[in-house]
Amino acid sequence: MVTPDAAPLVLVADDDPDILDLVRYRLERSGYAVATADSGTEAVRLAGELSPALAVLDVMMPGLTGFDVTRRLREDPHTAGIPVILLTARAQEADVQEGFAAGADDYLRKPFSPRELSARVQAVLGRR
Amino acid sequence: MLEALGIAALVLAAISAAFLFALVGRRMSLAREERRRAEMERRLKPLALALTEDDQIDLPVLPAAELAVLADVLGRYSRRVTGDARERIAGYFAGTEALARELHALDDRRAWRRATAAYRLGDMACRDAGPPLVARLSDRDADVRASSARSLGQLRFEDAASPLVLVLVEETVPRAIAFRALLDIGGAALPELRRLAGDESADLRAAAVELIGWLGDAADAELLVAAMEDSSAEVRARAAASLGRLAETEGAAALTRALGDRIYFVRLHAARALGQVGERDAVEQLLRQAREDRFEAARAAAEAVALIDPDALLAAAGLPDAGPHLHEAADLLRV
Repeated sequence: MVTPDAAPLVLVADDDPDILDLVRYRLERSGYAVATADSGTEAVRLAGELSPALAVLDVMMPGLTGFDVTRRLREDPHTAGIPVILLTARAQEADVQEGFAAGADDYLRKPFSPRELSARVQAVLGRR
Repeated sequence: MLEALGIAALVLAAISAAFLFALVGRRMSLAREERRRAEMERRLKPLALALTEDDQIDLPVLPAAELAVLADVLGRYSRRVTGDARERIAGYFAGTEALARELHALDDRRAWRRATAAYRLGDMACRDAGPPLVARLSDRDADVRASSARSLGQLRFEDAASPLVLVLVEETVPRAIAFRALLDIGGAALPELRRLAGDESADLRAAAVELIGWLGDAADAELLVAAMEDSSAEVRARAAASLGRLAETEGAAALTRALGDRIYFVRLHAARALGQVGERDAVEQLLRQAREDRFEAARAAAEAVALIDPDALLAAAGLPDAGPHLHEAADLLRV
């Protein structure tokens, strides 16, 4: 989705409000519109409602994990085409393969570099 | 007598009521303070976020209470970011009174205050705090040592590599915290770890060799192969595990030789590593180990064959002398 002011909409889901603040701030400065969700369930709902251009999902969220959300997005024809970047802690790196199997397009390790995040978002959107 | 009891009851009731009022008052004051702080945080967040992203910020003059809240928010952000954002946070704290206060508090006589200071210094991201935090790794209090180790990792303070390996080996800091701190320091710790791999203490050599497996690269294969000849079985076992983790084919010959090691856990780690490396030339020897070795080493050998050559495993599991480990690995493979 592109917002009325022509900025591509990015959906960010994380149960950590500080991460949401940091990601939102960086992406808005890079020219994206941002919608945030603090749980996987909320992320699935917003993705269906807003059809974002891209989703940045934390892997470890209570309820639905980032993997679960990615799978749900891929299962729904309306959201199947939304590119997904997973945010993963170092300890979960072994699970990255599961993320790709679920349909994720890229991943970024936490703690993350905001500059790298915006470069990855741009790269993933550019690939589509 | 009754009159005295009545007076005593009245006094007790009055004390209870006063105590209750004090508790309610305290609770209300804490709630008010919490609300005030949340409001300050909400107001200061845009400034904190700008500090993580912008080089040129005109900092407003803030009262002490707001500076403390800003420091807390920036401390939380610094745990979540790397790269230039974290450097900007360090730049903000450098030379501030907040940094000086926490550095001073490392010498406080109260252990909880020293531990808090050690923790906050990691969040402030200023490398100036590195040397005093290294000194606190030998604090008499366990929490101070653990906080210092955690913060040295946060600061990526490479000069702390050796002291951290030492506290890891001496177990004066919980293994998970010291190990994590070394992983956080990352590749910058490698020169020190390579030096420690040749230390005279076998415990230090073993820890260094294990960490090289996590942080090192192909260039470390030669060092790890040499460690496979170490006089300490612990060092040989961890060197084998590290070669497997790095998936270095250069170590395959040394790992295959280690299947004949006299210590079973060296054979176990060598078998696992050969599976990770995918060394086909070792399959026959692994099959023999899976049939004849003691439980753990035999099981690791069967699992390794499953990774290297599933067909060979299925064929061997069909033979009369296969034994339980080859059967188990073949069953798992079929599943």
